[in-house]
Amino acid sequence: MTTALIVLPFVAALLVGFLPLSRVATEGLALLATVAEVVLVAAAIVRFHVGHGTQFVTNDLWISNLVNGADVRFHVGMDGLSLFMVGLTAVAVASAVWSAINARRDHARVYLSLLLLLQAALVVLFTARDLVLFYVGWEVMMIALFVLMGVWGGAARRLATMQFIIYSLIGSLLMLVAIATLGVEGGSFDLATLISQGRDSTWLFLAFAAAFCIKAPMFPLHGWLPSAYRQSTPEVTALLSGVISKAGAYGLIRFAVPLFPATAYDWRWVFLGLGLAGLLYASLVAFRQPDARGVVAYSSIGQMNLIVIGIFSLAAGGRFSSNGLSGAEFQMVNHGIVSLAAFLLIGLVELRTGTDALASLGGLANRRPVLSTVLLIAALYALAVPGSSVFVSEIYILIGAFAENALLGSAAAIAIVLAAMYMLRWYSALAHGDDGPSVPPGMPDLRARELALAVPLVLILLAMSAWPFGVMERIG
Amino acid sequence: MTLLAATTVPVSWSAIAPEIVLLSCACVLLALAIFLPDRLAHPASAVVAVGGLAGAMVAPIVQWNDPARYAFDHTVRIDAFGNGARLLIFAAGIFAVLLAWGVPRVEEHAVEYHALLLTACAGMSLLSVSNSLMILFIALELFSIALYVLVAIDVDALPGLEGALKYLIIGSVGAAFLLYGSALVYGATGQIEFDRVAQAVAHGDPHSGVLLLGIALVIVGLGFKANAAPFHMWTPDAYEGAPTPVTAFMSAATKTVALVVTMRVLVAAFGEDSAIWQTGIAALAIASFVIGNLAALRQSNVKRMLAYSTVGHTGFLFTAVAAHSELGTRALLYYLTIYGIMNIGAFALVEVREREIGRPVLIDDFRGYAYRRPELAIAMIVFMLSLAGLPPAAGFIGKLAIWSAAVAAGQTYLAIAGVIATVVALAYYLKIPLAMFDREVVVPDAPRRPELAATSGTVVAAAIAVLVLGIFPGPLFDLATTASRSLMG
Repeated sequence: MTTALIVLPFVAALLVGFLPLSRVATEGLALLATVAEVVLVAAAIVRFHVGHGTQFVTNDLWISNLVNGADVRFHVGMDGLSLFMVGLTAVAVASAVWSAINARRDHARVYLSLLLLLQAALVVLFTARDLVLFYVGWEVMMIALFVLMGVWGGAARRLATMQFIIYSLIGSLLMLVAIATLGVEGGSFDLATLISQGRDSTWLFLAFAAAFCIKAPMFPLHGWLPSAYRQSTPEVTALLSGVISKAGAYGLIRFAVPLFPATAYDWRWVFLGLGLAGLLYASLVAFRQPDARGVVAYSSIGQMNLIVIGIFSLAAGGRFSSNGLSGAEFQMVNHGIVSLAAFLLIGLVELRTGTDALASLGGLANRRPVLSTVLLIAALYALAVPGSSVFVSEIYILIGAFAENALLGSAAAIAIVLAAMYMLRWYSALAHGDDGPSVPPGMPDLRARELALAVPLVLILLAMSAWPFGVMERIG
Repeated sequence: MTLLAATTVPVSWSAIAPEIVLLSCACVLLALAIFLPDRLAHPASAVVAVGGLAGAMVAPIVQWNDPARYAFDHTVRIDAFGNGARLLIFAAGIFAVLLAWGVPRVEEHAVEYHALLLTACAGMSLLSVSNSLMILFIALELFSIALYVLVAIDVDALPGLEGALKYLIIGSVGAAFLLYGSALVYGATGQIEFDRVAQAVAHGDPHSGVLLLGIALVIVGLGFKANAAPFHMWTPDAYEGAPTPVTAFMSAATKTVALVVTMRVLVAAFGEDSAIWQTGIAALAIASFVIGNLAALRQSNVKRMLAYSTVGHTGFLFTAVAAHSELGTRALLYYLTIYGIMNIGAFALVEVREREIGRPVLIDDFRGYAYRRPELAIAMIVFMLSLAGLPPAAGFIGKLAIWSAAVAAGQTYLAIAGVIATVVALAYYLKIPLAMFDREVVVPDAPRRPELAATSGTVVAAAIAVLVLGIFPGPLFDLATTASRSLMG
């Protein structure tokens, strides 16, 4: 099952990229593959046995004896967290492909093929139980993003891409040295084997954490993010914010903390402190952003730092606290869908108006009820309105933070108020008032094919709000 | 064994079979040159050269699993390590023949080109198995002189002459260092065969000043051939000025033989002093990282950029040497193999573009190229990613293996230096893919030229090989393990 989830997008990427089909057929093939992936994940979620640990496992030898008897294995499987991260990936890439088709990107064959390759890489990294295999997924993801960002997107995309790549590579190559060290010392690259050996190494822990915290991004390693989110196409920004940032948090949960629990526990205040600082800083900066993407970009930084707080609300000895961790994991899914929706909606607005500057927008609610309703839903979820799934996950994170330290919990709670402020400003600047200068007269509401993009995302959010326990019990 | 003792030594034909085959073919070519009409000169000499190189591969393959043995009174050592290097060199030679097909600069001197190529291969082959400082020097000069001429094979092209002259002068300085170092080692130990030097060192004073100075000078001399900074000055000019097939051959084969012989002489002769030379090699590695990568950042000519990138790569290869372990040797051989493939592929692509536009290729000449020749553009991305060490290309497994060896040898700082070098290197490696996918430039659709089929075929084949060896590195690792055991075991 897991292997099928990897092979399907990979084969589809090859077919889309190399078959000399017409534009319509290429788009149809890409869309079909991503929808099939969603169906496969849905089947996996249904067949998943709660409380049975890692399932759908494939474990084959890949490279024998790379160093000191350490084999590299094609070892993939899904526990609850992997399952929902793969689900998030499937939904996000399907939405991205559909919205790329609607936006009629040029050189669609290459573009769609890269989106599918990105999906295959993401599924590998979310399901790998072998460090080298995980690293392969991690870097292939980056290669696909490199082309997607560097070739399509805004005028200043080259610089943004190079910044993104250099930041990412510094982190991930340090992680590769750490992986090599683990292989040499532990005689294995298998995650479970290495965890059972029990390690305590500040440098190795920091090397892993650096890679993940750059990707998340954790304050103050977020320097690459604003320009990357502004210069990429809406689909790529949506994937960066919705899924790729979650890969960073996933890495912390899956690798950095379990491999070095005692070290993580000793260092937890660095992460909690930086997480809190980042949460408050990003929330304040989000309030001052002049463009729609900027607000959501800084809000993403804030949310990811909140997730880091949830992760590092550790119990003694480096075990995860159940509230903080399940809150963080659920928030990863929630924020993934919400920020995906927000950026894709901004993309639709940009298609109509050619800009996302808040000063030249406004009045989208006039005679455009569907668009403004969907924007409002995204804003309400982003500010964690009570009753929403985001509210549930943030409450769990806050409970974890309070258990760690009351002051930390109180300070983090302030940020959630700030979130309400900037998201309402965002919605108000887009939707309220008279039509902005860049809004063309008679700008149409969402068309049917655009509704097909927005409605599934809204339905997923509503379903998770109605039955949050359904997700949380599977995540574990 | 003294230098001048007039003893008769049993001849082992099988030990030097590849050299005999190659040099005979070179002689046949030169004789043929007199009779052949111009029209047939290139095809006939290419056939003879490929035949010779393929024939030379027979002995190393047949002897692959044999235990290591000495021949000619310990002046050569036939083992899987040397035979592996020979096979890599001959393969690079075959590609040099393929890439030269239809190159106007080579066309006029086809016979000489192939004869010199075979001579260079013979010298490199002998160097790979040399076990004595004297044979080492003779073999090194044999291939070097052939290469000096190959770089300047087109006597009317000024860049080629300039490159060759620099290569000749700086190469001679390097050879002088090597010879002086060998003399000092002989003075300190009274031996020139590696294994006997090692015995003498073990029984004498391993830290005598004369010996250490000798080792240092030998390393410097070999460093010139390995493009190690700060002895790399000839590299950019020679690489840029030489006809591209020669550049491709040099980047793959010269690098292989220089690293292999460095590893052999350090391990076999000076194993006793390893703590000292490990530090020296590590210092050269770091210097190569810094100078090679920083200089490459500023290049706009693709061949010069790749030339500086080979200087940077010497840092990685020296990291594997500095580990002084079976793990490091295995990583070195794996990396040399894939390094040769990616460089040949990348230079072959430069050759294709060079002939399409009829002048030296700048990075900007690749703008928008991906939309006209997607297969070549994807191949170039594979090479650049592999050179940068990103999965799934083979360069990733190579780097992982080298860094593991460094960590296992307690030299994590070299791995960290390699990380920084890689990040800098990405900034220039990625320029080419970014330019290729530039959507704003429309490349004029030049007609595909049939005589370039071999060259563009080489590009695609090399890219596929880089991917396959990256995804299934197992068999190559097994071969490299056999070879490294034969040296270290």
